[in-house]
Amino acid sequence: MEHHEHETKMPETTVAPATTLSMPIAIVIAGVLIAGAIFLGLRGNSSSVAGTAQQPQQVAQATGDLKQMKPIAGDDHIRGNPNAQVKIVEYSDMECPFCKRFHETLKQATAEYGDQIAWVYRHFPLDQLHSKARKEAVATECAAEQGGNTAFWKYMDRWFELTPSNNQTDIDTVLPQIAKEIELDEAKFTSCLASKKYDAHIEENVQNATATGGNGTPWSIVVGKNGKQYPLSGAQPIEAVKQLIDLAKQGK
Amino acid sequence: MIKNAFKEVFRHPSYLILSGAVALLIFAFAVWLPNIRLLLSLVTDPTVPISVKVSFPIRLFESITTNFTTLSASYTIVIALLTGINVALFVYYVRKQRQLAQGGLTIGSVGIVSGIVGMGCAACGFLILTSLLGTAGGIGVIALLPLRGGEFGILGVILLGIATYLLAKQISKPMVCEVPITNL
Repeated sequence: MEHHEHETKMPETTVAPATTLSMPIAIVIAGVLIAGAIFLGLRGNSSSVAGTAQQPQQVAQATGDLKQMKPIAGDDHIRGNPNAQVKIVEYSDMECPFCKRFHETLKQATAEYGDQIAWVYRHFPLDQLHSKARKEAVATECAAEQGGNTAFWKYMDRWFELTPSNNQTDIDTVLPQIAKEIELDEAKFTSCLASKKYDAHIEENVQNATATGGNGTPWSIVVGKNGKQYPLSGAQPIEAVKQLIDLAKQGK
Repeated sequence: MIKNAFKEVFRHPSYLILSGAVALLIFAFAVWLPNIRLLLSLVTDPTVPISVKVSFPIRLFESITTNFTTLSASYTIVIALLTGINVALFVYYVRKQRQLAQGGLTIGSVGIVSGIVGMGCAACGFLILTSLLGTAGGIGVIALLPLRGGEFGILGVILLGIATYLLAKQISKPMVCEVPITNL
């Protein structure tokens, strides 16, 4: 019986150089993506915490500069002490679930800090994601038209209490419903809502949000003692917000 | 099989540390990304107390519960863990100078890139994708997707899962010379 010796050799799984390099290349690509995102994020705001809030408004030529934040004025909606050392300017979208969450966070902060802080609300509807948000922003301005700052915040609080975000609300029903609940004149409210009188104001808020570097919502700028500015993106936890407020109070 | 490969690799503490460090890095990147400017300015500002420089970034970790949807938080954590595992398996392989798992590496590579692209808060425009494409363009692209960018994260999880399986399979193969079937 003839014995055939089996030929043994290493598995024929030679690896093409391109394939063997795929993992390192992926890590490099991932690193480049991360670095690119960071770079683009940083490029947006070179002034960072050094700017002053009360500088005259400049034409928003470049985006992402905190110095371009529109000074807090009479057409702003302020909760808390308007003369507080620390002001939190929030640019928010009424259909964004994270704005809804952050609304509660800032309510808590306002309750805890009392007269030491002022919360300034500005509109930043992301039309491409939330088609209903701009009309909702108009509704809050219509509430303010009738009942001033108090009506504005009542309307806003009730909106976030009632609605689930992400364009799921029947605004034809809910907007007048809230107006009725907070005892606004419904006819005037409906007429105001149909008008375009607040379109320019809301668009100005949106433009200012982008000019200061906002690329998502909620986008906030904490303005501290001596006008130092701290950009804060997203619905950050209350403890982080409080730490930033404390820092702003010290002017550091 | 996967269990055996994991045992083989992670019985060395250095690979556990490597895996954990990479996972932590990816996770930190995801939660810090929206506030990278603020973090850098606080860290580099000499007037900011050291305690704040250390504690503020740690406090932002909690934003995984406040600034992410359940879906995006889930895939962000899973992508971070799987990337850590994949990198550790890859390094183990390279150091052992064994055959490279072609499929696993390619899929893992695509998974890492896809996962990184999809990380962040899709609902409100804080994705790496939006950062890279610019504000308006990025949000426009996301608005076209049913999961608002979460697709990239899910794809990343799937690809990294497959890659982990293939790499583990390769590692658990005994190091023997194979008998070519054609010669039998």
